[in-house]
Amino acid sequence: MNRFTPGREVVVVGVGLHPFGRFRDKDLATLARDAVLESLEDCDVQWRDIQVAYFGHVYYHGMSVGETALASLGLTGIPIINVENACSSGSTAFWQAYWGITSGMYDLALAFGAEKVPGGPVTVTAADSPERFIGGDHMMAGYALRMRRYMSETGAPASALAQVTVKARQNASLNPYAHRKETYTVEDVLSSRPIADPLTLYQCCPTSEGSAAAVLCARDALGSYGLDDSRAVTVAAAALTSGNYNGRGSDHSAFSPYRTEPAAIAAYEMSGLGPEDVDLVQVHDAATIGELQQIEALQLTPKGEAWKATVEGRTALGGDLPVNTDGGLLAMGHPFGATGIRMVHETVTQLRGEAGPRQVANARVGLAQCSGAGDVTTVQLFKR
Amino acid sequence: MSTPRNLTPVSVDPARLRLDAADGSAGTLLGMRCLDCSAYVFGLAVFCQACTSSRLEPADLSRSGILYSYTIVRVPPSGWPGAVPYVLGEVELPEGPHVLAEVIGVEEEDLRIGIDVKLALQAVTSGESEKPRIVYKWTPANCGQSEMREAHN
Repeated sequence: MNRFTPGREVVVVGVGLHPFGRFRDKDLATLARDAVLESLEDCDVQWRDIQVAYFGHVYYHGMSVGETALASLGLTGIPIINVENACSSGSTAFWQAYWGITSGMYDLALAFGAEKVPGGPVTVTAADSPERFIGGDHMMAGYALRMRRYMSETGAPASALAQVTVKARQNASLNPYAHRKETYTVEDVLSSRPIADPLTLYQCCPTSEGSAAAVLCARDALGSYGLDDSRAVTVAAAALTSGNYNGRGSDHSAFSPYRTEPAAIAAYEMSGLGPEDVDLVQVHDAATIGELQQIEALQLTPKGEAWKATVEGRTALGGDLPVNTDGGLLAMGHPFGATGIRMVHETVTQLRGEAGPRQVANARVGLAQCSGAGDVTTVQLFKR
Repeated sequence: MSTPRNLTPVSVDPARLRLDAADGSAGTLLGMRCLDCSAYVFGLAVFCQACTSSRLEPADLSRSGILYSYTIVRVPPSGWPGAVPYVLGEVELPEGPHVLAEVIGVEEEDLRIGIDVKLALQAVTSGESEKPRIVYKWTPANCGQSEMREAHN
């Protein structure tokens, strides 16, 4: 893949989050605007100073929703770009904002995302696709196929997978923004309604509504906008890849989490950091199996061993490899366009030492990984 | 009074399944073989997914494979015209590609990763005025003559 050379150092100066859940009285633009307002207040940046904005969302709510959301803050004439990249839409918007600044084009950029995901199984293809007759376009069925194969290859018991949800719910119980805060036992998770065997309902992320926003700035321009770096968090890397069979030999499998590897390797190379430097991790846990396989693809554990790290409590708050510290997709919920920026919000909050009861001690380096249909992967590294 | 309709079956996806009999009782999974790296792709492709070469030749794919993984879908996606629950299988062909499709004619307790399966065709009709679509499915290799069955909404 291409190697990129970042230019100016980029920092996140402000983050904002709207609670995840169901908000039937708020339209998408209003949801999105509320997170933006919080992100601007967080860093005391004036809206008129923002020079470019990228908005991640997937489901159709009319054209140019990003413009609608931001028009209520004032018409400043800046480029506003609506970004659709499936579940990675938010993190793709963030990636674009990062590259807009590091390339030298802008000083101050906004990345935000929002979604109102309809209930029921999520499909990728259009309603008239042949897939509707074939039966293979079912996001959770895809995860279930991976899960059964993983359990067969690694010997992971169902209880180890369920522990991913138990941990997610424990973290979310400390997070007022989470869609699902009630805690569960392994037995609760395994006995919940079967969706696509061996996946049960509580091992699947809820379909949610919510929004998130981040304000990014060039470090060398902070002073020009009255900002300082006291709460700024450095973006050490931002990588994005799509499906790539090249070099994967005979990997024709329909669902290969290890296609995350190229983005992970690119992010580690960009940052000069390695898996051993990472203090906390947010990964794409749309289903329990997703968390385990992403941890492995990010080289944070050997392949086939993330389930052991989970059972041993290493991925819990207080473990040596805390994963999805805010509850992740499984408990925070998953409004597609917002999710990638929600991960940025949690990582920045942790690295600032502002995460309250779920604070990871001495957190200096955080990683955020988000997946999307089309084998999209984003990996970002942050450091204080 | 209904008007006469042409209910000749059609392939669910002509880029992936060629019908070898007008009534849809026989068909072949379509693929392409790369003349540069020899990789196979499921479905008609214009570039090789492994090496990006555009030098491809059509190649009929095997009618049998092994079950790489499977799930029993109990909450179907919207628009699913078949019975619920249904078994979804990911099948590895000898040529390499994996093909996702429903597994029919199998009891839950007989499902195992690694069992041999073979192609089965089934006519699926989604509405009164729709032509039946011939959908490719899998069935255990030790299952008798793959039968063509009608499935209605």
